[in-house]
Amino acid sequence: MLRPEKMSRVVVAGSKDVIAPVIEKLHELRLLHIVNYNGSQPDFALGKPIGKAKEYSEDLIKLRSMARYLDVKSKAPEVTYSESQILSQTDNLLNNVNNDVTSAFERITVIEAEVKSKQDQINALKPLAALPLPLEAYYGYESLAVFVGTAASAVDADVAKASPVNEIYTGTAKNANLVAVFVPADKAEQVSAALSEHGFSETSVPRLEGSVDSAVSSLEAGIKNLEGEKAPLQKKLADMRKQYEDLILATDEYLSVQTSKTEAPLRFAETDNAFVIDGWVPTDQFNRLKSELESAAGGKIEVQKLDDKEADALVGHGEDVPSKINNPSIVKPYELITRLFAIPEYKEFDPSLLIFVFFPIMFGLILGDIGYGVMIFIALMLLKKKFRTPGWQQLINIVLIASIWAIIFGFLFGEIFGPLGLWGYMFGNLPHHEILMLEEEGMFFGEGVFGSLGRLGPLGVFPLYRLATNAVLLLIGISIFIGVVHCGLGSILGIKTELAYGEKKHAYFERLPVLIFQVFFALTLLGLVMGQMMMVYLGGLLILVSIVMLVMGPEGAMGATHIPFYVSNLISYLRLLAIGLASVGLAFAANQLAFYVIMPMLSGGAHNSADFSIIAIVVGIIVLTVVHFINMLLGILSPFMHPLRLHYVEMFTKFYSAHGGGVEYAPFGHVRRFLKV
Amino acid sequence: MVVAEIIDGGILYGLIAVGAGLATGLAGIGAGVGEQGIGAAVVGVVAEEPGFLGKGLFLMLLPETLIIFGLAVSLILMFAWTPFA
Repeated sequence: MLRPEKMSRVVVAGSKDVIAPVIEKLHELRLLHIVNYNGSQPDFALGKPIGKAKEYSEDLIKLRSMARYLDVKSKAPEVTYSESQILSQTDNLLNNVNNDVTSAFERITVIEAEVKSKQDQINALKPLAALPLPLEAYYGYESLAVFVGTAASAVDADVAKASPVNEIYTGTAKNANLVAVFVPADKAEQVSAALSEHGFSETSVPRLEGSVDSAVSSLEAGIKNLEGEKAPLQKKLADMRKQYEDLILATDEYLSVQTSKTEAPLRFAETDNAFVIDGWVPTDQFNRLKSELESAAGGKIEVQKLDDKEADALVGHGEDVPSKINNPSIVKPYELITRLFAIPEYKEFDPSLLIFVFFPIMFGLILGDIGYGVMIFIALMLLKKKFRTPGWQQLINIVLIASIWAIIFGFLFGEIFGPLGLWGYMFGNLPHHEILMLEEEGMFFGEGVFGSLGRLGPLGVFPLYRLATNAVLLLIGISIFIGVVHCGLGSILGIKTELAYGEKKHAYFERLPVLIFQVFFALTLLGLVMGQMMMVYLGGLLILVSIVMLVMGPEGAMGATHIPFYVSNLISYLRLLAIGLASVGLAFAANQLAFYVIMPMLSGGAHNSADFSIIAIVVGIIVLTVVHFINMLLGILSPFMHPLRLHYVEMFTKFYSAHGGGVEYAPFGHVRRFLKV
Repeated sequence: MVVAEIIDGGILYGLIAVGAGLATGLAGIGAGVGEQGIGAAVVGVVAEEPGFLGKGLFLMLLPETLIIFGLAVSLILMFAWTPFA
């Protein structure tokens, strides 16, 4: 669980006669992580595709372009098809349906282009309505040059200077002065220069006839016609999409499977009569792979496991051992967090299990509210039905498990939508004189009780009112304690990882001192708080020892410069307390605002809840809902991001991904989604 | 004499509160300034290479600790440190 599964290096060699059944079997077994042959051996060539590889890939391209026209996207399967169903419909799908879709789609594209060009013409025409000329007057001259456009100032005088023979029309439209200037063609250059001094910008006049208004209305009629033709085509595409969506996805899957099978030999080494496949297989599955392949090939094959020494030599030459991450299904969602950072290397630890243990607890400790926890739980249960892709499911499951912890901590902290308030109504509070007594003794941890059970835990700390001074101090301690355990586990895994790589010096003089330093730094702090000077002296001594070890380590004196980082690692865990306090504070403020400010104020200063007016209660509840809703949204975000950081920055740096990311075990084969098994 | 007035008049506790606020607030500004640059760079990288999201988050969350330091100081000021007691 904590480590990727043990793998063995396998070589499969066989006669080319049996290459097809062997590939078929490998694909079905989904066991062998193939190492692609790179063509480095002179006696072996790269394999060539078998069977109808070319046809399959051509069909796949056709199918995918159709899927793109229909806007078909991958989704959770609703219907599954058998291979014979697919085969019987492929021809129809790729020819008739494809032609229909393509022609409809292309027609829509043409229509859209035409509509756009007509729209552009309308936009160009509209300002010309200000000029008193029919459209045919603007073009078709041989000896005249025509300038139509907008100008910033009056152009008459300058144009007349450049060309004494001229005709000028002007008009105003939408804050712009339109001019149409007609001059002899041989004066065009001078006039153009004169116009540019007036900020002239030319408008292109569409080659149409008649008045501007009639031209615009005929263009608009044309657009309407085209749109009328487009709508049924779009509906047709939508209908076809509904009808063929599942079939298209299933066919895509079928063709992809066929392509990967027929093109598989490209990854093998070949001679004239034989083929060789290199790959990795989980050690405990080797015998199954061997016997299945041998029976599929009728004995014309040799499946061999390399011994560890040979495998190590290959790894030494730069071959990656794939990591097969294997966790129980409840831990699986947390692999998402691991993957987001990096895939563990074969010799590294897979931290998913640790994330499963710590992440929800941290989330719960920060949020710690029954009301929010239950609301998030219900919301996620609803979302779980809606978002069914694996990525979303994982994310939802992560928060789902965490929200249960939030409810548990809600009981410990005595919070239902903020501290007190609702809790008091449901479970009751301590009598006032007892609170005063406890405060005087410095033992006050809050005023809620667990109904008839009263207060529980050592010194009766639960339910723990998080905003009380004593509770804050207690939670500081708990946060640092979690930090020491969390970082400590990271350091221990770090030591083991370095040993697995055979880096003894790194293990004992880089990882171990960090463990010692952090544990005894925390103990020294505890000693100071408790006034146990023996603990302080002992802790101080061991801190010194750990620093000396760091200096002796592979980094030398530079190693000691990391010390502030290790201190800040521990202090960083205070966020578990701090973000929780912020969220409690907001909830508390919401409740105070509604019950002690808005409701009494709107009821004319009434202090008894029985005297509140209806309006006051309604407004109060609206304010409560809004503020609590915002707080809850923040209450999902920050308790998620901050523990994530604690794992990535504080814990992973101790052991994870120091040797670069690994390669995930991806066996040759395919998980059927739309195809029946 | 002024000192005595400060201690007796409760001004001291006001000053402690102001100090605690400054500690958290200024640390927050610092963390924000730090994250601004990293955040922009990470968004840029993730747009090109989505697989970098995890490492990007890791880098972006690094300066967050700054504000926790400020907060730790505030907590000590408010709860743990009782001057002239």
